Amino acid sequence: MICSDAFIATADAMAGVQGAPGYHYLTTPHPVAGLTPEQVRERAEAVADQVAKMLAGERA
Amino acid sequence: MATPPDPDAAREAIEYCYEHGWTDGLPVIPASEALLEQFLAATPRDPDEVLWRMDHLDRECTVRTAAINAAMAGCLPEYFPVVLAAWDAVMRDRAAKGGGWQSTSGPAPLIVINGPIRSELGINSSGGIFAAGFRPNATIPRTLGLMLRNAFGVVPHVFDQTTQGIPGRFSICFGENEEESPWEPLATETGLEPGTSAVSCTLTRTYEFVDNRHTQDPEQLLNDFADTLSRTGSLIFRGQSAGVVLCPEHAQMLADAGYSKADVKDWFIEHVGRTEADLRRAGKDGVSASGPGARSASAEERAPADSFTPYFGARKDIPIIVAGARNAAISMVFRVFGEWSNTSVPIESMAAPVAAAKGG
Repeated sequence: MICSDAFIATADAMAGVQGAPGYHYLTTPHPVAGLTPEQVRERAEAVADQVAKMLAGERA
Repeated sequence: MATPPDPDAAREAIEYCYEHGWTDGLPVIPASEALLEQFLAATPRDPDEVLWRMDHLDRECTVRTAAINAAMAGCLPEYFPVVLAAWDAVMRDRAAKGGGWQSTSGPAPLIVINGPIRSELGINSSGGIFAAGFRPNATIPRTLGLMLRNAFGVVPHVFDQTTQGIPGRFSICFGENEEESPWEPLATETGLEPGTSAVSCTLTRTYEFVDNRHTQDPEQLLNDFADTLSRTGSLIFRGQSAGVVLCPEHAQMLADAGYSKADVKDWFIEHVGRTEADLRRAGKDGVSASGPGARSASAEERAPADSFTPYFGARKDIPIIVAGARNAAISMVFRVFGEWSNTSVPIESMAAPVAAAKGG
């Protein structure tokens, strides 16, 4: 799960009502909506290592 | 002479509600069991009936919970069937069902009431429909806001993600001025029997007035509306929906010139929109070039600068309501947040069951 950092409060609250308080997810800087495809690729590259660690069960 | 109520005891009860986070910032009426019973007696519906469930939040609202919030909002018990119809009406809106209540847009429900219930409850449909001063107009929409907060837990900065919101978000509710409208009422247009007391509701964003006391030419008036309807700022996706709350004077002028409501809508379908050059100037030409879900700016020239992108696709995208006073030519354009259901919900009160109504 990757969330833009403007929505952390909502994401944490959602985790709580879904029975997973403290659920760990990754963040990317807000905003995202106006990015070009190239900028989205840069964002993906920036977070890729953390995604790999998370999938491997490590705390990113 | 009866002893007046104790203001200190009242304030203590009001503060108790604040302390429990049950208010929208303004004082609420403390709701007793006895008051709740009066509200539940005003509707034939089962108090345990679930009005709506938000699965993702694991919260739901029953008729009883809605009644508590109606009482807290300051409704009289006899308003409660209107509250229930308003809730049912807005939840027919695709956006309301799809998470619109939590949207960064912070959309406002627009509640329009037709039929004899308007005079029975003293619902304002003439001067000051968007202003304050009328208890049902103020408390019925406020109830929806309290239901979201208290039943569903949609509170600001957490599950309510509103960036700025709409001024008067939970205060937009009025009767259609059927008596001074040249056309059939909104609820009749959507398929209910004439004379049915009913509620129509959709989620909305922008409200902007069109003050035109300048012309007697209907086409000039329509052009003035089209200019406001064609704003680029509110353009998000291709496929827009926007409506007009026409004052009686504007509506009558158009009707006198031979326009039906459908004619006005058809005129807007043809004329409301912007050129490619206009959209490009605002960074929104991707909207004209791509599919219905696009929110991208275009990367390259996709259409001639003078090509025209119409905003509306069908009459159902352009709700037209007649309301306000017949004292000046001032109307209101509003932007629909998602997609109005194009239906109206009959009001089920104990005195007037809904059996006579059709459609809905």
